[in-house]
Amino acid sequence: MNKLLFILIALLLLTLASAIAGLHFGPAGITSSQVFQCLLGNCEDPVSQMVIWQVRVPRVLVALVAGMGLAIAGAILQNTTRNPLADPYLFGIVSGAGLGATVANLSLGEHLGIALPLAAFLGALFAIAIVLFIAKILQRMEQLLLAGVAVSFMLGSLTQFILYFGEPFATNRVIFWLMGSLSRVEMSNFYVIGSVLLVTIITIVALHRHIDALLLGDESAASLGVNVDRLRLLMLGLCAALTATIVAYCGGIGFVGLMIPHIVRQIIGVTTLKLVIGSALIGGSFLIWVDIIARSALANAEIPIGIITSALGSIFFLFIMIRTRNTN
Amino acid sequence: MPIQLQVDQLSWTINTTSILKNISFNVNKGEVIGVIGPNGAGKTSLLRCITNQQQNIRGAVLNGSVYLNNKKIKSYSPKQLAQHFALVAQKAEAIFSLTVIDIVKMGLLPHKGLFALDDDHDKAKINRALVKVGLVSAEKMTFKQLSGGEQQRVLIARALVQQAQILILDEPTNHLDVYYQHQILDLVKRLNVTVIMTVHDLNLASQYCQRILLLDQGQLIADGNPIDVLTESQLSSVFKLPCQVEQRATGQDPSSKKPRIFFSLPHDQSIKISEGTQDE
Repeated sequence: MNKLLFILIALLLLTLASAIAGLHFGPAGITSSQVFQCLLGNCEDPVSQMVIWQVRVPRVLVALVAGMGLAIAGAILQNTTRNPLADPYLFGIVSGAGLGATVANLSLGEHLGIALPLAAFLGALFAIAIVLFIAKILQRMEQLLLAGVAVSFMLGSLTQFILYFGEPFATNRVIFWLMGSLSRVEMSNFYVIGSVLLVTIITIVALHRHIDALLLGDESAASLGVNVDRLRLLMLGLCAALTATIVAYCGGIGFVGLMIPHIVRQIIGVTTLKLVIGSALIGGSFLIWVDIIARSALANAEIPIGIITSALGSIFFLFIMIRTRNTN
Repeated sequence: MPIQLQVDQLSWTINTTSILKNISFNVNKGEVIGVIGPNGAGKTSLLRCITNQQQNIRGAVLNGSVYLNNKKIKSYSPKQLAQHFALVAQKAEAIFSLTVIDIVKMGLLPHKGLFALDDDHDKAKINRALVKVGLVSAEKMTFKQLSGGEQQRVLIARALVQQAQILILDEPTNHLDVYYQHQILDLVKRLNVTVIMTVHDLNLASQYCQRILLLDQGQLIADGNPIDVLTESQLSSVFKLPCQVEQRATGQDPSSKKPRIFFSLPHDQSIKISEGTQDE
């Protein structure tokens, strides 16, 4: 218990340190003392004040909740489907969001405003609805992942078809959006993602014992009084809504939900409460640092955040596969 | 002994196939009951139906009633049922690195409300269960690191934490060697709870069960103590094999005679093994 407490405190400090680091990096050349002054409300320079409070704070906070949300969604999907490869992105959520964004971009033009995240969110929910519908026909929740992959390809091809015949500028916008970025996020995005995240976390904490019971199989969970199908549907719905909200504002950020829970299981544990707390802290810190790399690695340009997470994630994935093979 | 469970004319049909046919029996508090019968006799189905855990299969019809403490089983919520029945499956496939304590802790679920965390009382309960099954020193080990017998003991510890009055075991000795088979059944017998278990090994059933239910093709053929149920005529007829039954004392006490069963395949029914030739 002491060891667990020690790890959690260390992770909390890591998250705090990551957030502070996130506020320091950027092209505006603001010094550390200026950052702290601005945070404490004693900013001397109005430009620094604006950069800190209107650009960096929202960006770091959105990175934090998006990283937390994606990691938690991955952790919960893996535990409820008993599949270590489950990831919110494998359920067609990004493809659905991409289709929604494509339709919005091509039909509404440049002045999208709230229409882009809204269309992306609706697209993601549309994808999930198809996946659930197929799973219901199959009557087998374990085939959900395969249904998700199929739906993902189906919606992806539809998006590509529309983009191929669409206007080139709109196509560019959609492609950049799909690569993922935090460069345009606002404080309001943090509130929306944060609210959905909070609802998800509260539900998970309430049902953590039920989710744990699934780890030993459906029959075992049912014998402990768990309504297995209903629980799985609820968790899938929550994870879908959470991921769809994040994707709607931040675009495609892959592999976080797959990678972070694997790390957490190694250092903290596999049961739901430990996994969710650890995933939240490590996932949040991870995305803040990825965003720091995204905006600092190149002198005059930002790298889309999804490119970095996918590159890191795929290497991590291969590393896990090799390590598992060696262990076996 | 007070009646704890009443099974009244229970039938379970899937489409036109009868899985269980008109089964009736009572279970008294504290009894250790073995359910025996050939493959497909309906043993596991019976356990599922009496605990209301039968799957929602299309075309399945359940008739008859099961009463738990004089109340129809269908009037209990799943959570209430989990407070009365604890299931120990044949084999549990733990995913990820679940530890012994993680699994034993699952037994708290039917007694905890939403948001409830573990308190000192729960920890003491878990510790008592681990002491009872002799796994205190293994509490931090992962489930996959344990032997088959130890895994069964972990599941029994979980059932103890569940504080159910009736322990249901489905083939608890499958996949176990002789030492662990006896260790598990001896442990189960000494728990002082009502036990209903399916057993393939008739000699183990004879040795550890006070009462035996013999099933064949979904029907209850016999119900009684081992000496009355495990007879040559009944066993030969149900298992379709000639059989010999001897009464032997199982331990130091010569009065504790139990039936010992020996089956043998008739010579004309053994599978012919012919050696292939290179020409073929």
